[in-house]
Amino acid sequence: MLIHLVCCRTTTHSVVCVLQRFRFCGDLDCPDWVLAEISTLAKISSVKMKLLCAQVLKDLLGEGIDYDKVGKLTADAKFESGDIKATVAVLSFILSSAAKHDVDSESLSSELQQLGLPKEHATGLCKSYEDKHSALQDKLRDTSLRLRRLDSVSWRIDYTLSSSELREVNEPLVHLKLQTQGTEPGSSDTTVVSISPDKFRVLLTELKQAQAMMNALQ
Amino acid sequence: MLLVLSEDHKEHLSFLTKADGSVVEEFGRIALEFLRKGTNPKIYEGAARKLCVPVGMVQHGVEGLMFLMTESSKHMISEVDFMDSVLALGFGEDLIQSLLQLYVQHKHQIRSVLSQLLCNQPAYHNLEWRLDVQLASRSVRHQIVPMVTIRLLLTRSSDVGSTQSCMDLQTDPSSLLHMISTLEAALAAVKTSHARRILRNIK
Repeated sequence: MLIHLVCCRTTTHSVVCVLQRFRFCGDLDCPDWVLAEISTLAKISSVKMKLLCAQVLKDLLGEGIDYDKVGKLTADAKFESGDIKATVAVLSFILSSAAKHDVDSESLSSELQQLGLPKEHATGLCKSYEDKHSALQDKLRDTSLRLRRLDSVSWRIDYTLSSSELREVNEPLVHLKLQTQGTEPGSSDTTVVSISPDKFRVLLTELKQAQAMMNALQ
Repeated sequence: MLLVLSEDHKEHLSFLTKADGSVVEEFGRIALEFLRKGTNPKIYEGAARKLCVPVGMVQHGVEGLMFLMTESSKHMISEVDFMDSVLALGFGEDLIQSLLQLYVQHKHQIRSVLSQLLCNQPAYHNLEWRLDVQLASRSVRHQIVPMVTIRLLLTRSSDVGSTQSCMDLQTDPSSLLHMISTLEAALAAVKTSHARRILRNIK
């Protein structure tokens, strides 16, 4: 851990901040705006902060955030709209960054206290974090970059009786319809392929070999 | 520098020279809303009815005023020059003052709106990445090939708003390291004495 002694921007009570690498920032320096907003966080009571964390966690898990509730929670401390946005942003950053780098809650609590967050606030935050730790990581895993996801496969087998080229064909034919998610969220692409029986057998064998390799890895 | 306005422009604004101060202020407000949100024909019709003039005249008046404002903001002309240019159009003394107030208050806003209209290159929006290891393929089993897949999200602003586009890229770790060192060298180039000299002279 590299430690540089730097005199931080003076706050109302001037603090000499030890600039070091933080695990929850991915072993990098803590961003300046996070440092600034932690002092804003200290202005609300620790109970209200725990409720705020619950709202921010709901937003990170994709359940949507209730801005009216957030407004009510910050009303006592007389936050302006800019302060409210900053508080939500800093809580989102801390919680998602800690989940990203798989930080345990005791280290998170001690690192936040080093940054100047009061002890009760840090404990409350880390308790909420610990409760939703694995759910948060699952959600982040789901939203990781995937090029094109396969949504569904549907198939149909036809039997060709005859065609314009040959009077008696008498061959089965497989039609495969693959639905994939497109590059924009919410769009989907459809690919339709028709495969002859031999090619289809080759495809099936190769896919079974790939599946066996995947299972061996798990 | 003085603004040189075309004959059509002067004609459009001539209608305003005969109107009184409150009308000109109202028109100024409409012109600025036009810049921000686009035209609203109903407003023109309402104003035309109140002043008992044809709608076309109202529209030309508003557009002329708006063009005057954007040209003045574009060239960042000083207040004295603005007053002289407007004097040449035949406006009365207090009308000139109210137009000057309008110009001074909204100069920066107009400039920021104008600067946003010009960005035609796609601009960086976000970058997502993943690190994969290819273990086998159809032709070769038992490989280890690390790959970084990157999705670069870009936005491009145009007349109809901003459009998003994305580019999927794939690279191996050594190319990625080379890219990183090239970009860091580019960032470091801003700090050279040559670049600093130029920046000092521009500012």
